[in-house]
Amino acid sequence: MSQTGGIEHHASTFAAVFEIVSFGAIIVLVVLGLGIIASMMGIFNFAQGEFVLLGAYVTYLAYAHGAPVWAGMIAAPFVVGALGFVLEALIIRRFYAAPIVAMLGTYALGLIIRESVRGLIGGFYLTVPEPIGGSIDLGSVHISAWRFTIIVITLLVMGACYLLLARTSFGLRVRATLENPALARASGISTPLIYGATFAFGAALAGLAGALIVPVFSLFADLGIRFLIQGFVAVMVGGVGSFIGPVAGAGLIGTLSAALPWVMSPVVADVLVFVLAIAFIKFRPQGSLLGKGSNHHVD
Amino acid sequence: MSIERMNLTRRRFMGNFAFATGALATGVGSWVVRPDWANAAEGPIKVGIATDLTGPIAYAGNADANVAKMVIKEINAGGGLLGRPLELYIEDTASNESVAVGNVRKLIQRDKVDMVLGGITSSMRNAIKDPIVARGKTLYIYPQLYEGKECTPYLFCTGPTPAQQCDTFIPWLIKNGGKKFALPSANYVWPHTLNVYARKVIEDNGGEVVFEEYYPLDQVDFSATVNRVISNKVDVVFNTVIPPGVGPFFKQLYEAGFLKNGGRLACVYYDENTLNINQANEIEGLASCLDYFKVLTKEDPFDAKLQAAYEKDFPGNFLFAAGSAATGTYRGLKLWEAAVKEAGKVDRESVAAALDHAKIAEGPGGPAEMVPGKRHCKMKMYTAVAKGGNYEIVARSDGLVDPKEC
Repeated sequence: MSQTGGIEHHASTFAAVFEIVSFGAIIVLVVLGLGIIASMMGIFNFAQGEFVLLGAYVTYLAYAHGAPVWAGMIAAPFVVGALGFVLEALIIRRFYAAPIVAMLGTYALGLIIRESVRGLIGGFYLTVPEPIGGSIDLGSVHISAWRFTIIVITLLVMGACYLLLARTSFGLRVRATLENPALARASGISTPLIYGATFAFGAALAGLAGALIVPVFSLFADLGIRFLIQGFVAVMVGGVGSFIGPVAGAGLIGTLSAALPWVMSPVVADVLVFVLAIAFIKFRPQGSLLGKGSNHHVD
Repeated sequence: MSIERMNLTRRRFMGNFAFATGALATGVGSWVVRPDWANAAEGPIKVGIATDLTGPIAYAGNADANVAKMVIKEINAGGGLLGRPLELYIEDTASNESVAVGNVRKLIQRDKVDMVLGGITSSMRNAIKDPIVARGKTLYIYPQLYEGKECTPYLFCTGPTPAQQCDTFIPWLIKNGGKKFALPSANYVWPHTLNVYARKVIEDNGGEVVFEEYYPLDQVDFSATVNRVISNKVDVVFNTVIPPGVGPFFKQLYEAGFLKNGGRLACVYYDENTLNINQANEIEGLASCLDYFKVLTKEDPFDAKLQAAYEKDFPGNFLFAAGSAATGTYRGLKLWEAAVKEAGKVDRESVAAALDHAKIAEGPGGPAEMVPGKRHCKMKMYTAVAKGGNYEIVARSDGLVDPKEC
């Protein structure tokens, strides 16, 4: 009897850890692009949530027109990345000198995208099936196959981003452009192109995030805004200026907001996440969970 | 003469134009649908509709506005009311209470409508009822299913109440699901008040509430809740979580094996619109209790006629469905029509006195009648279960169910 109880207890602990980690992975995926744009370009993109929404919408469109869902998921980052590149050239570029204006400007941009999508989908909540559906059964525990896939893809994307920014010549140019644009230009780097490419890359990551999460949350116009606040707090906690800071912040915020409802009333948990984040930022105004960070973001 | 003729044509053109563009809400917020004939001595009777044409619940508001256009057109085609045509004024409440109050004042002060029907959420009703009923001295009809306890004079409710949605439904759930209930809920007035009633009915019928828990309205991850449902071996999840959370919640329950283990989902606002939030297999067996389901068109000729007329005029995505107040809107307008006919005039006192006991022999789901002195509506109720992405009726009330309010 106690034996069975012990097994069940282990099983439910495992399920809990899986669920919490999977939500953490979703937040990391959503924040990755936001963090890269904030860290590398010094602006906070309030339209990032709507890029997530667009990725979800592209996936839905592909599905609604009879294409396989995974085809839509592959197309989404390219479509949203291309849109990001165009928007950077037309609009975002004008905001670099004024980060506060950039927040308002990107918020307006996000509002336009969100309300347009709302019009296009008629304000409904639309389902998109997952390419890998159902659950993986481990004895008495059932875990979602798609959430498991998301964890794997998040780890792969994180690794790829890190390698791209830290180990390739493109990454070197991006970092050089950030560190000292004038010197980068003098060294023959086309800084406008680098800014455009970085923004497009951040947008593409949001598009990918949207594509991957739409089967979990269904498609609706406010899908992106739901994650914007959490993303903002994650970047604040993690600290701007490094690749790993926002990612760590996102992992922490995501895990915390999924874990707290297990031990307390969900309404209290919702608020407590933000209270903890504010307290953290109060004592570590530089953000950064990892001790380094904003010291090498010099303008 | 020729100028008058011109005016008439232009007016008619504008009327048709407004009719055609009414659904394409862009935020301007005011539409007038004028009758094709306006030769009565007294001028038209003005009907005001205040509903959410834009914002998160625009799908419901547009359906309600469409129903109003259909009913008013039908009444006008039959010669109007008291020999006068009806003129329809539609204002957008924009899913936003502060915008709504301003727009509702336009209906009252500028357009001087004789009656206002609308509002979908309870917070909207609470925001606009004072401008309409108290300061506006106008009759107000609220068409949506809701938590009950609205007993303001001159405010008439034509959607189902907790008693109507629970009294037959919960005993059915205990018989066809089990005794252990969980009440996961969105944290606002409707779930809080409905759950008080539901808990009483559950316990009176020998059931037990394992947990009752409230979540922020935008929560989309329910792993902790799903775990409590599974580990407590809950039989029936009586859900009042609303979109956007409800889709992920049902999906997580499905993935955790709740349905596979024989669990029963129940949700009293689930209609044809909300069926699309999840894939059909994720909500197989979900039970709902409402005043109308589209599947009734197979057995009831009046429902078939009504549904066909709506779909002919409004073929788009805005469905004629009970959960978005479309049926309550139809019922409200027809009861009001009956009241005006009986009163023989349109002033608030006379119409309210007649509406107090108004009846209609035919409506969505069957006849309906106001309970005298209660300003709530008796109607037939149906329990339906989702099977393969459609509903099947599995139980129905014996006759008209009492709202038990006020």
